[in-house]
Amino acid sequence: MERRSFLKSFGAVAACAVALPHVASAAEEKKSGGPNEMNFETAVAAITGGKALTPSAKVKMEAPEIAENGAVVPVKVTVDSPMSGKDYVKAIHVLASKNGNVRCANIYLTPANGEAFFGTRIKLGGTQDVVAIAEMSDGTFLIAKQNVKVTIGGCG
Amino acid sequence: MKTLIKIKPKTYAAGDIVKIDFMAMHPMETGMRKDKDTGALIPANYIDEVKFMFNDTLITKMVIWESLSVNPLMSISFKVPGAGTLKVIAKDNKGQSVESTTPITPKG
Repeated sequence: MERRSFLKSFGAVAACAVALPHVASAAEEKKSGGPNEMNFETAVAAITGGKALTPSAKVKMEAPEIAENGAVVPVKVTVDSPMSGKDYVKAIHVLASKNGNVRCANIYLTPANGEAFFGTRIKLGGTQDVVAIAEMSDGTFLIAKQNVKVTIGGCG
Repeated sequence: MKTLIKIKPKTYAAGDIVKIDFMAMHPMETGMRKDKDTGALIPANYIDEVKFMFNDTLITKMVIWESLSVNPLMSISFKVPGAGTLKVIAKDNKGQSVESTTPITPKG
């Protein structure tokens, strides 16, 4: 059931991707001013351009199931890829699904990395899914997520 | 902006995949936090772009937002092609920019 509702919601994302590209650029312009705001659907649409997201075991995400302090949540993403000139991971996108601005980091990799890996520490405003989207060199998008329970929020 | 670059492990050979840890001392203000004394909003101030270069060739470019923790850590993998210089350029949304370098010296 979970998988079905997951796919459905991304179907909806694909549908608004065509209609809402200007929303993404408007949010981009806001970047220099006050707090950025972007919801999950818009952020995903901006990344994939409406293409399908495939849940994949190739994308491995390491994040704690319970984070006592939402201000510092370690996240590591590894994507299984040969990282050769023909077959590599172009980008790893890390999103916090319920933060005011869901975007955390877009990491644009090259075959020189040797391994598709990104590690960081993020702030989470509350309990939510941390999502990693891998953009592959063949134009497909793979996704993995993990729910992190936050005891004390990190955005205050 | 103070920065720190760490290569892990400390000794490596050409062809090895190492981890590069980059840390910057930065408040990463979200723009949502209020000053405790005045109640005024503290303007957003966060690193928004980081570039990793090896001998002036771009390895990895990062576009990041305020959701990264205070004094953010960014870690990537790097397949050491040989000796050279690793340069990391970090820039924040107020235009402050810092360039840090570290030598890459493979052994054996």
